[in-house]
Amino acid sequence: MGSSSSSRNKIPNAQELMDQTGFSSAHLLRLYDRFECLDRDNKGYLSPDDFEAVGGLAMNPIGGRIIDAFFSSGQDTVDFSSFVWILAHFRPTDRNRNKEGTQQELPDSRTRKLKFAFQLYDLDRDGKISREELLQVLRAMLGLQVTEEQLQSIAERAIQEVDLDKDDAISFDEFKKSLEKVDIDTKMSIGFLK
Amino acid sequence: MAPLRRSSTLRLTGLLCLSFLVFFSRGFASHDVVSEKSSGTIQEDSHSQANSTAHKKTFPVLSFNYEHVRTPFEISLWILLALFMKLGFHIIPTVSHIVPESCLLIFVGLLVGGIIKATGEQPPVLDSNLFFLYLLPPIILDAGYFLPMRSFTENIGTILMFAVVGTLWNVFFIGGMMYAVCQIDAAELAHVDLLSCLLFGSIISAVDPVSVLAVFEEIHINELLHILVFGESLLNDAVTVVLYHLFKEFAHEQTVTVTGAILGVISFFVVSLGGVMVGVIYGIVGAFTSRFTSYSRVIEPLFVFLYSYMAYLSAEIFHLSGIMSLIACGVIMRPYVEANISHKSYTTVKYFLKMWSSVSDTLIFIFLGVSTVAGPHTWNWTFVIFTVIFCLVSRVLGVIGLTAFINKFRIVKLTKKDQFIIAYGGLRGAIAFSLGFLLDNGEIKNLFLTAIITVIFFTVFVQGMTIRPLVELLAVKKKKESKESINEEIHTQFLDHLLTGIEDICGHYGHHHWKDKLNRFNKTYVKRWLIAGERSTEPQLISFYNKMELKQAMMMVESGSAAKLPTIVSTVSIRNVQTKGAPKPSRAISKSREEEIRRLLRANLQKTRQRLRSYSRYELLNDALEDNISEARFRKQREMERRMSHYLTVPANRQETPPVRKHDFKMQCINQYNTFLFHTGYHKVYTYDDSESPRGRASPSCADDVSELKETPEKPDQSSTPRANRDAELKPKEQDDQGDQLKVSRCLSDPGPNPEDDEDSTFLP
Repeated sequence: MGSSSSSRNKIPNAQELMDQTGFSSAHLLRLYDRFECLDRDNKGYLSPDDFEAVGGLAMNPIGGRIIDAFFSSGQDTVDFSSFVWILAHFRPTDRNRNKEGTQQELPDSRTRKLKFAFQLYDLDRDGKISREELLQVLRAMLGLQVTEEQLQSIAERAIQEVDLDKDDAISFDEFKKSLEKVDIDTKMSIGFLK
Repeated sequence: MAPLRRSSTLRLTGLLCLSFLVFFSRGFASHDVVSEKSSGTIQEDSHSQANSTAHKKTFPVLSFNYEHVRTPFEISLWILLALFMKLGFHIIPTVSHIVPESCLLIFVGLLVGGIIKATGEQPPVLDSNLFFLYLLPPIILDAGYFLPMRSFTENIGTILMFAVVGTLWNVFFIGGMMYAVCQIDAAELAHVDLLSCLLFGSIISAVDPVSVLAVFEEIHINELLHILVFGESLLNDAVTVVLYHLFKEFAHEQTVTVTGAILGVISFFVVSLGGVMVGVIYGIVGAFTSRFTSYSRVIEPLFVFLYSYMAYLSAEIFHLSGIMSLIACGVIMRPYVEANISHKSYTTVKYFLKMWSSVSDTLIFIFLGVSTVAGPHTWNWTFVIFTVIFCLVSRVLGVIGLTAFINKFRIVKLTKKDQFIIAYGGLRGAIAFSLGFLLDNGEIKNLFLTAIITVIFFTVFVQGMTIRPLVELLAVKKKKESKESINEEIHTQFLDHLLTGIEDICGHYGHHHWKDKLNRFNKTYVKRWLIAGERSTEPQLISFYNKMELKQAMMMVESGSAAKLPTIVSTVSIRNVQTKGAPKPSRAISKSREEEIRRLLRANLQKTRQRLRSYSRYELLNDALEDNISEARFRKQREMERRMSHYLTVPANRQETPPVRKHDFKMQCINQYNTFLFHTGYHKVYTYDDSESPRGRASPSCADDVSELKETPEKPDQSSTPRANRDAELKPKEQDDQGDQLKVSRCLSDPGPNPEDDEDSTFLP
């Protein structure tokens, strides 16, 4: 007990983080341990190399994008609170708590989760997934096994399916609509982050 | 008025048929005696005739020999009865809304059994052999083959908890409580000992997949609950088998030993895991076999059925869990087999499975009813009533207790409503009856059987009938009818990758991590061996996309036939859509050449249109309108064709459409579709060539054009006829697509095309 409270003191802004993200102190501790584990040179922050050292990400088709998502615009370091903030998006939604009506929407709500995913598609941050961006994602996911024409036709069809305002791109609302049947709360949640 | 009268006459006819069938079968049964006598006399006659050569034997022009065909004949009659009943219930709409089909079928069985008994004969009983070997496998295979794997694997922990721990709890609770009841002197049940009670408990506590399927299918509940209850009913088979055999052995020997108990536990693992392994082995062999079946497509479905059935039977040889083996076989086999077999075979498999399971299901319930009448019964009020009560109580307690435990580990918790439905959906059915039937004969057996039947009736009738209004009342989430969407698929896969990445970053080996590992393993090692040809390297997204396009193409074909045109049912073989050699060079056409070709073709089309204007008197009046509509339609059609052309291939060595269709079509066109025919005629230029690689032809449709232009002189017969017809289909489909079955006649008078389609201004002359 004593050790955990002292470790909690190591974590900067622990209480604030807990309130903002909804993590419990035990979770925060685990995340801090992981943060320290990733941070090989003990710099106190994470750089892209640290992320790339993680095993599975190299094989992940969108590994690069995920890493970039941690680094908010311009910066090339991630401190602990940003780390936690990003991971808070993957907390399982606590439906009971949301009913009380928090003023600020917690990162784990459905919209915020979708927004996070949307931003991984929309690299230029113009609020729309253009055909080219979609093609990039498809190319990354499907690799070399498909022809360019197939990719084009899939992208074409995907856009046609949801593009209501005919701007040849997928806006965030259209994105949300296309995923309305999917249980995002379950899909984008990692169990141990409860 | 008319439909009512029709339905009442149908009902009468149905009743008449029913009674006819029953009396027919009864009549034939009694005819046995008669025919035997007559054959006896004929023999006598021939003997006497042989002796006295003076008499001549008359050649029997028409003779009667029922014994010969008795068994298949009666079986067919029963199946026919079952089918008529099924048909009848769907024709009469009012009753089938309130009462689930299974109840009606049991009721019919009771009627039939009553009739048979009234005529003095012994009605047939649901023989356990018949049930376990012939009636049960189709239902389980159907369920297992079409099991939604995603939701099943996501909830596997919960399902296993309910299946194993829940069933164990039920067995011991019911067995124990019933023993306590039997101790009451007033019940006169002192002869029922503990082991028999436990045996009874093991028979009665298993949730029955047949009943669950029958009832849940009609209420369209949301997928989570459906898979929970249904998955439980499938997986508890292992527990049931082990406990049943265990207690039967113990009851026989009247002793319980510690080693026996330990062996029981071990045997549980052996039974379940062994069953799964047998299924997996057969599944892999089946998948491997399907790799070579392209040489004989007609027998492909049979492989699927036979391998699965063999898996079931092989498991039953060793007293392993046949149900789990069957499910495992279906689940393993499915992705590989579907990649290998032709589309027609896939449809055949699907429909045969549905057909067999439907017939089995109907027969089971009817026989349940008949067996109830057959008896013999030993009715003991105390025993029966307490059984029913304890079944309900133990189910409720079990579900509540387990959910409290499971919810600690679940991301999406089970609410009280969910728990209620799960508890209420614990229906018992024919498996319990058949297991009871296998008991050694004796008074206890009859006692048990009566109780089992009562419980089954109670669950199926009371719970089955009330579950639908309860679902409405509690506003339980219903199944969402989801249209398949390429977006959903893309985004779901994207999210999978995302979650795997995040899990890696967190260092947490969760659900996604293992799924990703399994997928990778599957892709690198397994798919290569089990899927033939090119499909083995096809990513899942592409297969999904292909399937969607195919479905859409087929829908278009079918809707085209609604516009009264001869259409081809182009049930395509996806397998035929394969690359042969190197198709790429032909598509490497420079941009300038493309443009040139485009311009050429456009010019030609415009010229044609100009020519058309002077062709017939009809056109003169409405040319302006026609142009807009037809251009828009033309554009959209090209769009559709581009997509369809991937998949509507006619294999080079088969001509699916007789040439005569083309002429029929022309006849029709003279009336109304002149313009369009000419458009479609020129459309030939734009369709793509079958023998070329069909992969991905989105934007450079001119590449298609060029290759087509090159190819047409070489293969005019094969490709042109089906293509012309295909275009012809497309055109009426276009009309459907415009929304209102725009017939040309309406076009001629109605100036309103859909405004959104008029994009292609370049085509205006």
